[in-house]
Amino acid sequence: MPGPTPGPLPKGGRGRRDWGERTLAWAFLLPSLAVFALFIGYPLGRTVYLSTHGNDLFGAPSRYVGMRHYTDLLASAEFHKTLVTTLLFVLLTVGPGVFGALGLVLLLESRVRGVRWLRSAFALPFAFSVASASVVFSVFFNPAIGVLNGLLSQFGAGPVGWLTDQRYALLSVCAATVWMNLGYNVLVLSAGVGSIPQETVEAARLDGAAGWRLARSITVPLLGPHLFFLVVVSTINALQSFGQIHILTQGGPDGATRTLVYSVYEKAFAYGSSDFGTASAQAVVLLMVVLACAGVQFGVLERKVHYA
Amino acid sequence: MSKWSLRLAAALAAAGLALTACSSSSSGSGSAADGTAPGPQALDQAQGVTTVTFWHAMTGQNATALTSLVNAFNAAHQGKIEVKPLFQGSYDDVIAKYKASVQQKATPSLVQVYDIGTRFMIDSRQTVPAQAFVDKDSYALDDIEPNIRNYYTVGGKLASMPFNSSMPLLYLNTDAFREAGLDPAKPPRTLAELGEAAKKLTTKDASGQTVRYGFGAAVYGWFVEELIAESGTLYCDQDNGRTQKAGKVLFDSAQGAQAVQWWADLVKGGYAANTGRVPADAQAAFKAGKVAMHLESTGVLRGYTEAAKFTVATAPYPRLTDAGQGGPAIGGASLWIDGPGHSAAEQRASWEFVKFLSEPAQQAAWHTGTGYFPVNRKALDDPKDKEWLAKYPQFQTAIDELHATKPTPATAGCLLGVMPQARKNVETAIEQTVSGAKTAQQALSDAAKDLQPAIDSYNSSVG
Repeated sequence: MPGPTPGPLPKGGRGRRDWGERTLAWAFLLPSLAVFALFIGYPLGRTVYLSTHGNDLFGAPSRYVGMRHYTDLLASAEFHKTLVTTLLFVLLTVGPGVFGALGLVLLLESRVRGVRWLRSAFALPFAFSVASASVVFSVFFNPAIGVLNGLLSQFGAGPVGWLTDQRYALLSVCAATVWMNLGYNVLVLSAGVGSIPQETVEAARLDGAAGWRLARSITVPLLGPHLFFLVVVSTINALQSFGQIHILTQGGPDGATRTLVYSVYEKAFAYGSSDFGTASAQAVVLLMVVLACAGVQFGVLERKVHYA
Repeated sequence: MSKWSLRLAAALAAAGLALTACSSSSSGSGSAADGTAPGPQALDQAQGVTTVTFWHAMTGQNATALTSLVNAFNAAHQGKIEVKPLFQGSYDDVIAKYKASVQQKATPSLVQVYDIGTRFMIDSRQTVPAQAFVDKDSYALDDIEPNIRNYYTVGGKLASMPFNSSMPLLYLNTDAFREAGLDPAKPPRTLAELGEAAKKLTTKDASGQTVRYGFGAAVYGWFVEELIAESGTLYCDQDNGRTQKAGKVLFDSAQGAQAVQWWADLVKGGYAANTGRVPADAQAAFKAGKVAMHLESTGVLRGYTEAAKFTVATAPYPRLTDAGQGGPAIGGASLWIDGPGHSAAEQRASWEFVKFLSEPAQQAAWHTGTGYFPVNRKALDDPKDKEWLAKYPQFQTAIDELHATKPTPATAGCLLGVMPQARKNVETAIEQTVSGAKTAQQALSDAAKDLQPAIDSYNSSVG
C-alpha cells in the first residue's frame, strides 16, 4: 500500500533537507561504526601488518619480511597437519552437533511422556561455560581415575588414553565439543519446529503422513533456514574453538589436537615464543578459511534452503 | 561512505595510539640498567608513599602466604612504601604480559619470573641486577643457599633474588609399598630400580584390568631436565649457558635418550600411567592411590599430605645410574627489579621488599606455608620451622637433597633464551616415544633440530 505522497518541495530546499537527513543518518551510524573500526577494523589491519614483519625480543615488529611468514607456513609440514586437524575438527563437530540436535528434536516431536523435562535436559549444556564443561570432561577422560575408563573396566575393556593417545585425542575433544554445542542447537531447532505452521502439519496428517514420513517431507524441509543457520554458525564456532582444546589437551599429544586457533595462540603467547609475525600470518589464513567456508555454504547450501 | 568510514577509522586508530603514548610517558625516568643501583637515600628523599607494583603467579595456598607477607611489609613501612601485588596468571602468562609491558613502556616495578625465564630477563635489559643493590649495601649473601644462588648467578653476578625455590622429588605411596612387600624406607635410587619397583607395585584385578600403576608423572619437560642434571651432564652447550650464551641444546645426549626411553618403556609395558601434560591430572592419579610412585615438585607436598588417604613419603629424585655425579637443579622463580621507567625511590623500595622476603623469618613463614624451600638457610633455625619439620618430616628430604648437591654447571641448570620452547619440544619427544612413533634418541634429535632456528634467531636478536 503506497504511503502518503509528499507534497512538492520548494526548489533548492530538497538538497538542504537531503543533507540534513544524511547528517542525521551518519550521527546514528557513528557509534556502531566507531565500535567496528576500533574493535574489528584496526585489529584486522594490525594483524595484516604484523604478519609481514619479524619480531624483536618482546614481540614488537622490528623488520619488514614481506610474504616470508606465509611462504614458510606453506612449506611447513607441521602447518599442513594443523590445517588437516582443523578441518577434521570442523567436520566432526558441526555434522554430529547439528544433526544430533535435529535427531533429538524430532524425537521430542513424537510426544513421549516427560517431553518438557527432556527438552530442558537437552538444552542444559547451553548453560555451561566452555571452561567449566571442559574441566568436567577432563575428569571423565582422565586415564587413571576417569569415569569413562571406570565404566570400561566394568566390561573388562582396556584403559583408553582418551586424551593422551593420538588415535583418540581429537575424537574425545570433538565429543566434548559436540556435547557443549548441543544445547544451543536444540534450542534453535525447537524454536524452529514451533514456528512450522500448524495448518501444514494438519494437511500432511490428513494426507496420511506420520512419523518418519512427516519428518522427512514436512518438518526437516521447513527447518531448512534453521539448519542452514546452525551449520554456518557452528562452522565459524568450530574454527574459533579454543577453550576446550587448551584445557583438555593443550594441542597435544604430539600436536594431534592442534587446530589453527590453537597454533596462533602457541606461536604468539605460549612458551614465551612471542612470534607474533607467524601467529598473525596464521590468523590471516584462519580468516581466509572462515570466509571460504561461509562462501561455500552461502553459495551451495543456501540454494537448497526453502524460506517459508 | 567508504571514504568517511576510513577517515573515521584512521581518526580512532590515531586516538588509540595517542592514548597508549600518554600512558607510556607517565612513568617517571630512572637509572638505566647500567649496573648501578640507588642507595637508601633515594627513599628518604621521596615525597609521600612510594608504590611498588608487584606481578606474581602465585595461586591458592601460595597466594595466601604471599599476601600475608606483603601485608606485613606494608604495615612495617606505612606512609613510606606500599607494595601492590598483582596476580598475572601462570608463569608463561607473566612472561607474555611482561613482554607487552616492555613494548608499552609500562613495566611493573617488580616481577616474579620462573627459573627458565632467567636468560630472557637478562637479555631484556629492563632490570637492575640484584648484585648492584648487594654491592651498594655491602649486603651479605652468605645465608642464601649456595645452590639456589648458583642458578641465578650469571657472569659471577646475582641477576635476580631467588624467592620461591623448589626441587623435584620422588613421591611414594607407603601403603602400596608395604602391600607389595617393599620397604618405603629404602626407596629406589636409580631408574632401573624404579622400573623394578614399578613392576612390583602394579596390580591388576581378576579381569586383567590395572587397578594401580607402579609409576606415573605428568609429561613435563622439567623432569627430563632434572634427570639430565642428576647424571652430571649438560642440557645445553657453553657449560649450560653459564660461560657464554648457549648456541645449541644437548638434551639429545645418551643420558637424555636413556631417561625418555625408560619412561616410554614403562608406559608401554603397562607399569606407568600416561596422564598427559596437564600436571593436575597426574597429581589427581597419585592422590587417589592409582599411582604408587610419582615425580613432582616440593611445592605440592603440603597439598598431598592433606589430600591423600595414605601416608605420603618422599625420596630423593632418582638418578639415571649409580655413577651419576650431579644433583637436581633448582626450580621455582625469582624476583626481578625493573630499572628503565622507574624512579630511583621505586627501585629502592622494590629492593627493600625483596630483601624483606629473603630474610629468615619471612622465609620460614613461606617454607611452612607453601612447601617451597627456604632460600635463606637461617630460616631452618627458626623455631616455627623446626617444629613444622618435626611434624612433616617428608619436607626434610628436599632440604637434604639441596644440601647434598654440589654447585656445578650441570646442577646450575641450563640458561637459554628459548628455554620454555626447549621444554615444550622435549615434551613432544616424550609423547612421540610413548606412542612408539619414534625411538627416544630419534625423537630428541628431531626436537633439538626443530629448536635450532629459534635459538639462532633469539641469539641474533639480542646480539
